[in-house]
Amino acid sequence: MSVEEPGGGPSPPDPLVSPDVGAGRRRNPRRQPTARQLSTREVSHALFAELGDPSTSENRRNDCRDELVHLHLPLVEHCARRFMNRGEPLDDLLQVGTIGLIKSIDRFDDQRGVEFSTYATPTILGEIKRYFRDKGWAIRVPRRLQELRMSIGSVTGDMSQELGRSPTPREIAEKLGVSVEEVMEGIESTNAYSTLSLDAGDTGDEGGNNMLDSLGMDDEALANVEIRASVKPLIEQLPPRERRILLLRFFRGMTQSQIAEEIGVSQMHVSRLLNRTLDQLRTSMKDVS
Amino acid sequence: MTNSPDVELRLPAESAYVAVLRMTTAGLAARLDFTLDDIEDLRMAVGEACALVLENADPGGDLHANFDISDGSIRVSVSADSSRDSDPDQDSFGWQVLTALTSDVLTSNEGRQRWVSFTVRSSIAA
Repeated sequence: MSVEEPGGGPSPPDPLVSPDVGAGRRRNPRRQPTARQLSTREVSHALFAELGDPSTSENRRNDCRDELVHLHLPLVEHCARRFMNRGEPLDDLLQVGTIGLIKSIDRFDDQRGVEFSTYATPTILGEIKRYFRDKGWAIRVPRRLQELRMSIGSVTGDMSQELGRSPTPREIAEKLGVSVEEVMEGIESTNAYSTLSLDAGDTGDEGGNNMLDSLGMDDEALANVEIRASVKPLIEQLPPRERRILLLRFFRGMTQSQIAEEIGVSQMHVSRLLNRTLDQLRTSMKDVS
Repeated sequence: MTNSPDVELRLPAESAYVAVLRMTTAGLAARLDFTLDDIEDLRMAVGEACALVLENADPGGDLHANFDISDGSIRVSVSADSSRDSDPDQDSFGWQVLTALTSDVLTSNEGRQRWVSFTVRSSIAA
């Protein structure tokens, strides 16, 4: 059966038209089912029933399996998209996800009363995750280090929360019961993960962009850095009250009336002060440039 | 730069070896109980400093790195032989990154060697 051609089969509801069928239903089972969703589920049930029927011919059985795969391809796509932009092309993720789908179709037992999408999703996700674990590495990194890298990642997150700063390698080492050297090794191994060629296609599915095209862009935020740097000394020169009003208005997001109350002057006065301060900043900015 | 540094490293003045230097720096910083963020900053700073000195480096020369290690801070100095008489461009992006990430960034000349040095302190008060 062809794995790469989503629209190729004669599946009654075109999977491309309702791309989120399985997942949508799983998230909100009580949602009023539309005609299409209902039919997808019914078709799925009917096909599984036929597949499970001992009197079904071998040929028909294969057709059923094919149809089931096509029917649930949108579910694969949904799962695969969750792993987009992680350094692996979406097409590859779709392929391994589809393998997961086929496995779950072969193992699924319709008699259990579980929705197929509920059953298949973990299998598809598992297959994609395993692909990342096994294939995503540019050079072969021992399983020990791969696992260490992952535990370092999660421990770092937890400890940053606890400590209010990022942890030191020694702290991580103590938490994990390994040596500082091993922690550094684990961190270093992160760099071995997935070095893609610059000419490799974008992980997205549209357009022929490659990574080379995405380099060398001017970050729009850079202009702000410059502005911030030039405004900062000006703000520092302001009288304390004016600076405070500026701070309350633009950093704390308080309204003029709230500021008025906080400082103990009228709102009108705050407005005047604010306008004057901003004018002042604007003129000094012009003088600078 | 003549006060004896704690760790010295001499490498070929080629960008391919900068990775080795970064890794070594990270290892030293780990010994000093720098946080992961500090280490990441330090690695980036080493990379930028090397890029600055390698820009004017003579081909086939050496890249020198000295590390002055004290409690809670590390001073890194990198240099390359250069026959060109030009200091690192202080308007360059690399210089900006370096000054943003580190403190006491200095350039100096010693014979033909052009040095860039900077200090990174551990964010845990030492």
